[in-house]
Amino acid sequence: MNIIDLLRDNAKKYPSKIGFIDEKKQITFQEMLDHVEKFSSSELLKKKNQIISLILENSIDCIIAYLGIINSGKIVHIIPPNISKKNFINQINSSKPNAIICSDKNWSNFLDFNNKDILIHTNKEIISKSTIQKKNQDINKIAYLIYTSGTTSEPKGAPISHEMIEFTTKNIVKVLGYSKDDIDLTPLPLYHSFGLGCLHTSIYVGSTFVLLKNSNNLENILNSLKKYNVTTLAVVPATLTKFLRLKKQYLEEKFSNIRLIITNSTSIPKDTVNDFKAIIKNRKLATYYGLTEASRSTFMVFNENSKLDESVGKPAPGVKIKIKKFDEKLEIGEILIQGKNVIKNYWDNSINDKNLENGWLQTSDVGYLDNDKNLFLVGRNDDIINIGGEKVIPNEIEEIIKQIPEIEDVVAFGIDNEIFGKTIKVNIIKKKNSNLDKIKILSYCLKNLEKFKIPSKIEFVDKIPKNEYGKVKRSMLK
Amino acid sequence: MQDEKIKNDVKSIFFEVFPKLSENEFAWGKEQKNYDNWDSFAQLNIITFAESKFDVSFSLDESIEIKSANDLLKCISSHLK
Repeated sequence: MNIIDLLRDNAKKYPSKIGFIDEKKQITFQEMLDHVEKFSSSELLKKKNQIISLILENSIDCIIAYLGIINSGKIVHIIPPNISKKNFINQINSSKPNAIICSDKNWSNFLDFNNKDILIHTNKEIISKSTIQKKNQDINKIAYLIYTSGTTSEPKGAPISHEMIEFTTKNIVKVLGYSKDDIDLTPLPLYHSFGLGCLHTSIYVGSTFVLLKNSNNLENILNSLKKYNVTTLAVVPATLTKFLRLKKQYLEEKFSNIRLIITNSTSIPKDTVNDFKAIIKNRKLATYYGLTEASRSTFMVFNENSKLDESVGKPAPGVKIKIKKFDEKLEIGEILIQGKNVIKNYWDNSINDKNLENGWLQTSDVGYLDNDKNLFLVGRNDDIINIGGEKVIPNEIEEIIKQIPEIEDVVAFGIDNEIFGKTIKVNIIKKKNSNLDKIKILSYCLKNLEKFKIPSKIEFVDKIPKNEYGKVKRSMLK
Repeated sequence: MQDEKIKNDVKSIFFEVFPKLSENEFAWGKEQKNYDNWDSFAQLNIITFAESKFDVSFSLDESIEIKSANDLLKCISSHLK
């Protein structure tokens, strides 16, 4: 069943149940279906076109547009509202959409886009000119197209099929036990695979999907947990870490109704896992590892075995993971994934298609499997620093330096060096009122790292550039 | 007094980078080839420590020319003048 069939099924089974809540309104499954059908009946979507770009922000209106485009038999090309002009043009040149849809709010940002063949519409304009025509459309095999950040200037479009969505969503439901009785809250952006997967999961089981706009508004998230009697929460690890600055008792009260917290993307800091396990006690804290090209490839439900707190878990049902070792003597290597959650090819991109061989996706992520097939992430292949032939994973340097109590945060990266090709620089945020100096850090490194891993430059900084998922934007450091 | 402090700081760099080095084994004129572990990475570590400790920056030529504690002391002193 595709996502539209599932929505139709929910509207039939629970027509008056509140299915979707955002910060302005809430609507039932039947109302959502009506809106979606009205949207897909618009003149624009009746035209013989293949791809519609949608500048997607977190709101019920944008969910309607997303599902409406799919229901019209088109492919949705999802664009983040905060995209740079350069990336916007790159994506449009690659996806070649027939039209672009955005909200009223974003309309003005894209007005200077100079292409008379591609018209920009607002979703309100489309709805206002439509009347509901209830008919089953031929749904395209590809549901949506989403671009991921590549290491080259070449845009990497990942076409996601309905089959992939169904496979992944079934795994989420099976492993994490979602049900129609859940109330699922997320402040994650819908233009990323994590947020979109949460939407699909709620539609799959017929639960209520609560969508907030901003992961940084902790107070709003915590208040919404109680306001909507939320049972599951999907957030990035950085949000969990920020929560922990609040009092434990306060958090225990706010999370008292929660049965599951799901997080993703990067390994969660060990302390965050431990502290949150204490707050939610015997309820579930889970994470997963996946890419846009291979969503939800592993799952980890944390338990009392603290040795696994830094793992992203075992492969999802029906998914295979192997490590392409850098050196036979090492356990570490590039992570390869195979399964029905993996894209067949990139969108019109033969260069990146080389990363897909016999169904195995070369992820460029670096990690290792333990004897029980638990996956541990170490870093990115692209991040590896080659110092005169010695390969260094920045993560290892960062972990050692973080052991110094006066350090708040650290990032290690390669800088050009005339002798070695590259050497390591670390940018460090010191804790408030700390007198820590560079020599103390270098001494600690010398005691705990090999000589070639000692940073050649240390800079104290106020900020380390990170994305909304808490991942360091290393490209900004190089 | 100031010179003495610089000398002590330079000496301490050698004990940091070569933790097995004993007081008896240290000599200002002892050359790179006579140290067990003074390879290209140790050279980099010495330069890094010195740059951080004295807040100076060495050129590539200066970095390559440092072959003893004495060389390092001279190089640092020239920067601090």
